[in-house]
Amino acid sequence: MSYFEECLTSGGLLFQEERRALYKYLLEINKDYYFNQAKLLLDKGITTRSIANGEATYYLKDRKVNYSARELNSDEIQSEIREINLTKIRKYNIRKLAKFFAQCDVDVISNFPISGRIPKAESGYGFNTYPFYTLAYYADGKNRLIGLIRKIRADDREILTKLRTY
Amino acid sequence: MSITLPKPNLLNFKVPGALAVGLLAAQFLLFQYGNDTDPECFLNVERPHHSTSLSENQNLDAIKLNITSTCNVSQKYTQLSASIQKIQNNREITAYSFVNQRRSSTTKLPNVASFKELFAPCRKGVSAAYRGTAKGYVYLENGKRLAVEGDSGKFVAAGCLIGAQ
Repeated sequence: MSYFEECLTSGGLLFQEERRALYKYLLEINKDYYFNQAKLLLDKGITTRSIANGEATYYLKDRKVNYSARELNSDEIQSEIREINLTKIRKYNIRKLAKFFAQCDVDVISNFPISGRIPKAESGYGFNTYPFYTLAYYADGKNRLIGLIRKIRADDREILTKLRTY
Repeated sequence: MSITLPKPNLLNFKVPGALAVGLLAAQFLLFQYGNDTDPECFLNVERPHHSTSLSENQNLDAIKLNITSTCNVSQKYTQLSASIQKIQNNREITAYSFVNQRRSSTTKLPNVASFKELFAPCRKGVSAAYRGTAKGYVYLENGKRLAVEGDSGKFVAAGCLIGAQ
């Protein structure tokens, strides 16, 4: 089993650093897919994506995108979890949405991992409020300059190499 | 010579029937709501401990922090920042922080949000004393927001050291 496959089964047991590296990795390997998904969402107003043991549905309304998630084969839907505001510039929106999709993929993997040997803890849908692509995540919601410094200092190379190699 | 003061005729004062019924109903509703649905929530921050499940299942060492927010009414979710504090050189420092984490309640337990997956990587074999703290808000189903805060009490030793973050 590769390290990435392990991440898909570990779900909520992943450390924060692993989730952040996973976000970067997903953005890297799925770049084209996310771009196409973004175009589809901008044109149709809705798109769905399955990853690990979960499914996310994205909705576009009044230049705002949010997503709902559910475990595969389950009726219990977690609605309007994250939201992102779009601009009037389509190209910029596509880039922004790609990051949003990668973040949401990490959310879904964390909450609905592939069932394996690790028993899943009984809890509600959880995620870090500040997405990994914002400076607020690094700054704990405070000063953006501090966030920028912490972002530069954050070293995910080791985990990223593990994800790319194994 | 005696002076006779006019007696106030209090008994003749009359309240219209409909107004009396209205006042009684208003008083009943006021007390009913005031006593029954005053929303309250509290945080239970458990003592940080070495996670045996992670160690056994994934061969990873981590200090685990469990937190539960419980209300007397339904909640949508709880959002909080938590940290594992440790004693180092006779000083209390933040060993690991979990910033703005959100957990929703479940349909089974609509009044409860559980944070069961807060892990901090650690190095086994070296002992340190830890304490968990958390602060944030509970967002209720009725749209209200309640501030919550808590900690796990005194520092307790665990045989795994969280490195500098």
